[in-house]
Amino acid sequence: MPLLARITERSPGLVHAILALFLLFGTTALQAQPADAALYASGEKIFKGNCGACHKPDVKLVGPALKGIKAKWEGKGDIYAWVKNSQVYLKTGNPMATAIWEEYKPTPMTPIALSNEEIDAALYYVDNYAPAVTAKKEVVVEPVAANDNNWLWLVIVALLFLVVGLSLAGVKRDLRNSVLEAEGKAPVPDLPRMQRISNWVGDHKVIVGLGSLFLTVWLMMLAWDAAWVIGVYGGDEVPHYKPEQPILFNHTLHAGKVDQGNLAINCQYCHSGAEKSKHAGIPSANVCMNCHKAVDTGRNTGKTEIAKIYAATGWDPGKMAFTGKEQPIRWIKVHNLPDLAFFSHAQHIAVGKMECQECHGPIDVQMDVAEQWSPLTMGWCIQCHAQKEVKMAGNGYYDEVMARLNGDENLGHAELKKYLEDGKITVKELGGWECSKCHY
Amino acid sequence: MSKRTHSHGIALGSMLATVMLLASCGGGDKNSPGVEYMPDMYRGPAVEAYVDYGQDPYTRSEELAVSQRERPSARQPVAGTIPFSSDPAKAGFNMPYPYPNTVEGYEAAGVSLKDPIAMTEANVEKGKVIFMKFCQACHGERGLGDGPVVNNGNYPAPPAYDGAQLKDLPEGKIFHSITYGKNIAMGAHASQLNKEERWLVTRYVQFLQNGGKMERGPVAAVAPAGN
Ligand code: HEC
Ligand code: HEC
Ligand code: HEC
Ligand code: HEC
Ligand code: HEC
Ligand code: HEC
Ligand code: HEC
Repeated sequence: MPLLARITERSPGLVHAILALFLLFGTTALQAQPADAALYASGEKIFKGNCGACHKPDVKLVGPALKGIKAKWEGKGDIYAWVKNSQVYLKTGNPMATAIWEEYKPTPMTPIALSNEEIDAALYYVDNYAPAVTAKKEVVVEPVAANDNNWLWLVIVALLFLVVGLSLAGVKRDLRNSVLEAEGKAPVPDLPRMQRISNWVGDHKVIVGLGSLFLTVWLMMLAWDAAWVIGVYGGDEVPHYKPEQPILFNHTLHAGKVDQGNLAINCQYCHSGAEKSKHAGIPSANVCMNCHKAVDTGRNTGKTEIAKIYAATGWDPGKMAFTGKEQPIRWIKVHNLPDLAFFSHAQHIAVGKMECQECHGPIDVQMDVAEQWSPLTMGWCIQCHAQKEVKMAGNGYYDEVMARLNGDENLGHAELKKYLEDGKITVKELGGWECSKCHY
Repeated sequence: MSKRTHSHGIALGSMLATVMLLASCGGGDKNSPGVEYMPDMYRGPAVEAYVDYGQDPYTRSEELAVSQRERPSARQPVAGTIPFSSDPAKAGFNMPYPYPNTVEGYEAAGVSLKDPIAMTEANVEKGKVIFMKFCQACHGERGLGDGPVVNNGNYPAPPAYDGAQLKDLPEGKIFHSITYGKNIAMGAHASQLNKEERWLVTRYVQFLQNGGKMERGPVAAVAPAGN
């Protein structure tokens, strides 16, 4: 056996390790090493701090891509003067500068106070720029949630037992008959199956009675449990409602933790109604475009999903301009309280000072697709209202109530004092259990 | 005897069927919102925000569903509408913004647009709360251009507020850029923040321009009318 094959067979792990090592060196070798690493690093800093908002080395942003720009200007114009103040430099009538301005106007380049050396460093960085090779994370394909139908299996197993039991009974009868035959007695008459079963039932009344009682109670319990979760799509007992959205928008990536490489955008950046209105609100596409004009590629889905935002807003990424052809994004509504109940985000966020995660779960940690975390039943609302302490101190909304609770007996009602006895005021004590606060 | 067993069987069978039926309403398909059981008063005739009436399984007819879908519940206010404010001190914030989204508008705002909100510790603090929600992700906590979107998302880095480019940016230009955005990478935030909030956050940006100090001293408040 050739050596390599033997090694592969004995220890595939070793081969993988060697391969990985090769790959590692392979990628580092691919990444061009700038000749002057220190200049490159200082240039990177200057470029990102002063030019990065408008230029990228390799693609057009606000201004043109800058790779090879120094060579382009060599002998045709004064690139330092241009960078320091392009509008002033334009007055010299330099034909190349004028041509660029004609292409990009009316956006001028901000005057930037840098020394020639600093500009050189920035341009050195640009000329030697190699995009970082980032590992492409695999798209996590959610395994289709196994239907929680354990009881169905129980029924099937029970049916199997029944069939086995019936055939065993048949075998037993045959045996008995042969014994009877051997003893010269008349065999047990071959009655129709139903007749035989009912005879058996007649002989074993207690077992059958207890058995069917047990079965009935069990089925009723199942029905009772199932009835509790009718129309409930969140909470601990049922699979969460988690519809596919028209764009694979990822909460974990956008709102997740910084130290896990996520963007940590505040929930209210997109759901800006949460403090002001009944609805937290779904962001309109222009909010996405605040960032996505400059970001056309995602780490998991590449350009496909972000292209859908462009289609919705009519953005032409090549021309960096809106075409005016818009098409609304039809997000699927996840949470859906019936109209008979009133729920207000402003009350809970602005007055109650609650965190979104208390009701929506770890959406920023583990939800690539938004889902209904809580059951949204009346019991759920009420339960929290019974336990949850209201943050009364420094809460302008409750100044008057606090004054009355803490003020002299004449001002408030003596009866109110009993709410303060346990040292905390729950939502219920303020009326969070009044039917009319939620139903009207 | 056999009759009784039969009725027993029927009872058991129908119970089994009920359990299965109930369980089938309980979900399982992550794309299905399930069946609404006795949906009286679940969907009012009044239009609710974000409810896709075209999807409502209880609309009376298919045409109605389609026509309702064509009329989304989220509407734009009539052009030229001015919001009402019961607080006269804040009424000025509701006036239209007179500077157009052009380079000339930007320059004009820089010269003549002034913050009607005083530069006080309290207002800077309020501005900070807004800044941390709406700007920190890109500009970073101290306004150095090092927020998580820049660091983790490879986003074009904004210049530092206290750096050479932005240190002396006048408040009118700050407000103008928050309202309309600047170039490609700084978006318009007028749809998320009302004028008062934009002016508050402008004060916090100025605070950061001063390197996190109140240095320039309290600036007298100007009447908001006409802004
Ligand atoms: C505010 C946005 C902005 C910033 C910041 C900026 N530029 Fe520019 N730059 C532009 C625009 C827009 C143009 C196109 C010409 C015009 O409209 O003035 C341009 C053009 C240029 C050109 C000429 C390109 C060509 O094709 O010949 C050079 C060189 C350049 N910029 C270098 C820099 C450097 C170096 C920095 C950082 C020190 C910088 N720019 C910062 C917006 C910017
Ligand atoms: C970058 C913008 C953005 C940020 C930041 C963001 N969301 Fe969302 N959110 C969306 C969009 C777009 C949708 C609609 C698509 C969907 O359901 O996935 C949505 C949907 C939701 C929904 C489901 C709404 C429904 O249909 O019932 C919840 C709940 C939610 N977000 C909560 C949060 C919370 C909590 C945070 C902060 C941890 C957050 N979001 C941060 C954009 C955002
Ligand atoms: C504050 C900036 C910001 C906002 C607002 C924002 N995004 Fe993003 N988004 C990013 C950045 C940065 C990336 C690229 C992250 C990466 O892959 O490193 C991204 C990536 C994405 C991706 C690709 C994700 C992947 O894993 O491939 C999608 C899809 C997306 N965004 C959709 C949206 C939608 C829809 C909205 C509006 C509701 C939105 N974004 C709003 C900054 C933003
Ligand atoms: C007290 C619990 C609770 C808290 C806290 C809460 N939500 Fe909600 N949220 C709900 C309920 C209940 C609904 C369903 C409302 C409906 O269908 O009318 C909902 C619906 C939503 C929706 C769907 C669209 C809408 O506005 O109706 C979004 C988006 C959302 N929440 C985001 C947030 C964000 C962001 C926060 C934090 C700032 C937050 N929620 C805090 C309970 C809560
Ligand atoms: C996780 C806890 C929690 C849940 C769940 C919750 N709430 Fe609340 N709710 C609060 C808190 C805390 C307050 C107190 C806010 C305040 O001070 O007004 C409150 C206040 C209210 C109020 C105002 C009460 C008053 O005294 O004026 C209403 C109405 C309300 N909630 C409705 C609901 C509805 C409807 C639901 C279910 C869909 C719900 N809440 C679920 C915590 C919760
Ligand atoms: C904290 C808010 C809150 C309070 C207080 C409250 N409810 Fe409810 N109620 C709800 C919510 C939310 C639902 C919808 C639950 C669902 O869809 O599963 C509901 C549903 C109901 C329903 C079922 C309607 C249906 O057809 O599904 C009835 C009946 C009801 N409430 C009666 C009452 C009565 C009576 C009271 C006073 C004792 C009361 N509620 C107090 C929030 C509340
Ligand atoms: C998506 C990232 C992002 C967010 C969010 C963001 N900015 Fe910016 N901002 C930028 C970038 C990039 C620039 C540089 C734009 C340029 O010069 O082309 C910038 C520039 C600015 C400027 C200078 C504008 C000028 O006239 O030169 C100000 C002031 C500013 N931002 C304030 C804010 C405030 C206040 C907020 C929050 C309400 C905010 N930004 C939110 C990315 C962002």
